[in-house]
Amino acid sequence: MTSGAPTDRILRVASVAARSGMYGIWVGEDIGRGYDVFVQASLVMLKAPGKKVGIGVTSPLVHNISTIARAAAALREMGSGRFRLGLGIGGLQDLARLGLTVKKPVALLKDSIDVLRRIWAGETLTIKGENFDLQQFLARYRPGFSIPLYLGVRGPQMLRLAGRIADGVILSGPLAYIEKALKIVRTEAIGRPLKSRLRAVVWLPTLVVRNTADKELAKVVAATVIADTPSSVLEMSQMPEDDVRNVRKTARERGYTAASKHVTERLLDTFTISGDAGYICQVFHSVAKLGADEVIFGPPYGAPIVRSIREVIKAWDRL
Amino acid sequence: MGSPLTFGLGVNANETLHSIIDKSVTAETLGLKYLWVADSPVQLYGPTVACAVASRTSRIRIGLGLMSVLLHTPDHIVDAVTTLYNTYGDRFDLCIGVGDRRQLSRVGVRVDSIESLPLRVLEAKRKIASHLHVAGIKAKIWLGAQGPKMLGIAKAFDGVLLNYSKPEMIRWAIRETGLRRRGRSMIGTYFPSYVYLKPHPRILRLAKVSSAVVALGATNAVLGKFGLYEKLRKVRQMAEQSSTVEAILSEVPDQVVRDFSITMKATNLPFYLAQLRHLGVNHAVFAYPQNHSVETVKELGKALDLAT
Repeated sequence: MTSGAPTDRILRVASVAARSGMYGIWVGEDIGRGYDVFVQASLVMLKAPGKKVGIGVTSPLVHNISTIARAAAALREMGSGRFRLGLGIGGLQDLARLGLTVKKPVALLKDSIDVLRRIWAGETLTIKGENFDLQQFLARYRPGFSIPLYLGVRGPQMLRLAGRIADGVILSGPLAYIEKALKIVRTEAIGRPLKSRLRAVVWLPTLVVRNTADKELAKVVAATVIADTPSSVLEMSQMPEDDVRNVRKTARERGYTAASKHVTERLLDTFTISGDAGYICQVFHSVAKLGADEVIFGPPYGAPIVRSIREVIKAWDRL
Repeated sequence: MGSPLTFGLGVNANETLHSIIDKSVTAETLGLKYLWVADSPVQLYGPTVACAVASRTSRIRIGLGLMSVLLHTPDHIVDAVTTLYNTYGDRFDLCIGVGDRRQLSRVGVRVDSIESLPLRVLEAKRKIASHLHVAGIKAKIWLGAQGPKMLGIAKAFDGVLLNYSKPEMIRWAIRETGLRRRGRSMIGTYFPSYVYLKPHPRILRLAKVSSAVVALGATNAVLGKFGLYEKLRKVRQMAEQSSTVEAILSEVPDQVVRDFSITMKATNLPFYLAQLRHLGVNHAVFAYPQNHSVETVKELGKALDLAT
């Protein structure tokens, strides 16, 4: 789920997930959409005891690194080891809206992982670099622990970084891209000790489609995803930019609903998982076969939400 | 008539959540009206701690802050309050301000390089209040203030939390705010505290550390006004040079402990509270080390019972 969803929906979904065989729950940060991702993750943690809970992802461009460190520390304690933290640069559209830019995103994420691990280890840090400015900084919340760090990344350089230093990677995009991205990450991770095996997670925007209205919504979702997909992902999935140009242009000028009119059946299938519950689970299964350890049944799920989630859970159990 | 004097407990967010929750539940049971959950770069994230506390209590009002508007954007602060409010209802207040300059400088926020701090805080307050109003959220917005410039903007807030304990300093600060003593605004004080039935040497020492921290965070204007600037010069230098706590404490004048904390027997508390009432204070927050343990929180509860 994403933090832009109203709290009551977050709690409802967490409650359904808690009673199912799902492995965990991920909360992505919708930057500046009205809710605090760290508090929402806390609520999910409290609502779904026993389930892994992750933030996937938050951005060091948006929060001071010390804030991310201490929010994660609180969540770790709340979840008794169930918490996982995902970091990323942030969605292209969100960053543009906030006027945020980054010159060296790979270095930013690399430094973020390094700084967070050192803060949590209890080190007193003095760093004056391009990305962070910490002076004699020492966390007072009983450091001396670690938290699994995942990177939500897209481009080849970022994927290689994740393969080298992260505890996990969160991928999102067309299946052709996912296949290539997994290869890059796994290749880069060769040689890591067995105990630090990298965990690959794939986040798919998923929608149970029952009628025309659902399909229209799926197209809006596809337009949103297309507008936020970097060119590197399109290249890796061998998707000509011409095919998505109209969608992107219209999304920029007139919004996602207008852009959805340019979403073809092929684009819909490429950028979302939409269909009946059985079809959705078959796609999940094929992602697992590509080498993913975890597949995220991502929003908007379908309407009504709880029924859609339950249908997919049942279909997965049957599979 | 102004509002009656209400009491709160400051929550120390660098302990375990388990311990924080235990003390919070105790404070609620003892009938305290507020818990104030601080948010400092070196402590656990305040809104997450507030969430954990709210999930285990039902009546006590939770003050979030001080949330620094230099560390968090107004949008982030609104997001935090909104998420808590939507889940646990109308149980939250917010305190915003600049925050501890020394702690902020450790995470790359150079307060001294920012011009027009009061305007910046006012602008943040305006945005936060507007967003919360649109969302139908009734949380009061307090200003956390100490120096004369920040005190000067207090009228724009629902309340002000002064980081003072000495009546003389409180009187001066209220005068600087321009607030009327019996007006509608909440005037609160937030101070290091150790009110005891039987003193414990270790906690007395923590009170000294805590009062030194507040004094070191005070603006030059405040220290000058109360004749502490020269007396604290050496201590400030030692703190900047990261000297050991023991070394720093040995140089902290006793006057600092008296001026920046309340350390007293429970039997003396009624007299102190009467002074606060007389000054127009209607909210008193007992902060570290009063929250050192469940027992010290209970000691406060007993002292307040005696006093009220």
